[in-house]
Amino acid sequence: MADRSKLGLEFPLYSMPVEKIKIAEFIAAVEQKEDTRHIKDIYRDVDAAKKAGYENIPMPPSFPTHFVFWTGGGLQEIVNAVGADLSKLLHSDEEYEYYAPICAGDVITRKMKVVDMYERGKKERKGWYAQVTVLETQLINQRGELVLKARSTFVER
Amino acid sequence: MVIKFDAIQIGDAIPAYTSAPITRTHLVRYAGASGDFNPLHHDEVFARAIGLSTVIAHGMYIMGIAGEAVTSWIENRCLRKFSVHFLSMTQPVNQDDFENTKDRAIITVTGKVVDKYEENGEKRIRCELVAKDAEGSRKLSGYFVAALG
Repeated sequence: MADRSKLGLEFPLYSMPVEKIKIAEFIAAVEQKEDTRHIKDIYRDVDAAKKAGYENIPMPPSFPTHFVFWTGGGLQEIVNAVGADLSKLLHSDEEYEYYAPICAGDVITRKMKVVDMYERGKKERKGWYAQVTVLETQLINQRGELVLKARSTFVER
Repeated sequence: MVIKFDAIQIGDAIPAYTSAPITRTHLVRYAGASGDFNPLHHDEVFARAIGLSTVIAHGMYIMGIAGEAVTSWIENRCLRKFSVHFLSMTQPVNQDDFENTKDRAIITVTGKVVDKYEENGEKRIRCELVAKDAEGSRKLSGYFVAALG
């Protein structure tokens, strides 16, 4: 069960470069391509990306998740920090606000915090009761600009 | 094709996007790409131990497919907000019983424009999205906001 005293917890800051190959790998998975040569041009060809108005190869819309999982201890660090039980954990909501493009070559720092923890439903009603944990993640680029805000909601049943 | 704000009407449908049947290999690829190694998505033994009949797709994988639906229609730099709620689990296709299990693993994303407005000096649209499998089960609902020229 998530530990309610962890409300307000701030995770350590982690930084990572945005790798072109990681974007290609991510979009190949999402586009269900066996070969990264078959993904959309803007995700593999810098010239195509520039022609489309980006400074470099852009990230796909749901790529922000990778800055959370590929930094620090990823999922395990989060689960341990909030005292959640991995075998009961489900992701219920994900929301992104995009303030500026994130492209290959950027260096992104993630700043994550537990912003809400509450119980939903009644304990007696099996299947309806859940403990909810909400994380807010700010992504900040190498120029110190806030480029994205994410809100991720997890439930433990 | 560039989508223009003035050419869009409230109620317009966005082009539907349909995935290939999701396989366990797709989930492993996605796990490696995203860094989400929750064993629920690749380890059958773990999945059964927590009461599921098999592994399930990452919710975020379905969001990724929804994102693909969005950016097949508009440029991803036009996106201002993208929000989803996960509704049900998605099991991958069984390779030894493809015909009987593929429909649960094929995801179709549809959506429509629900609002047009100006905000922060930009012309924006808000579109609702839903993802369903080929059996009609709803996987995700949500919306996005995009700024158009």
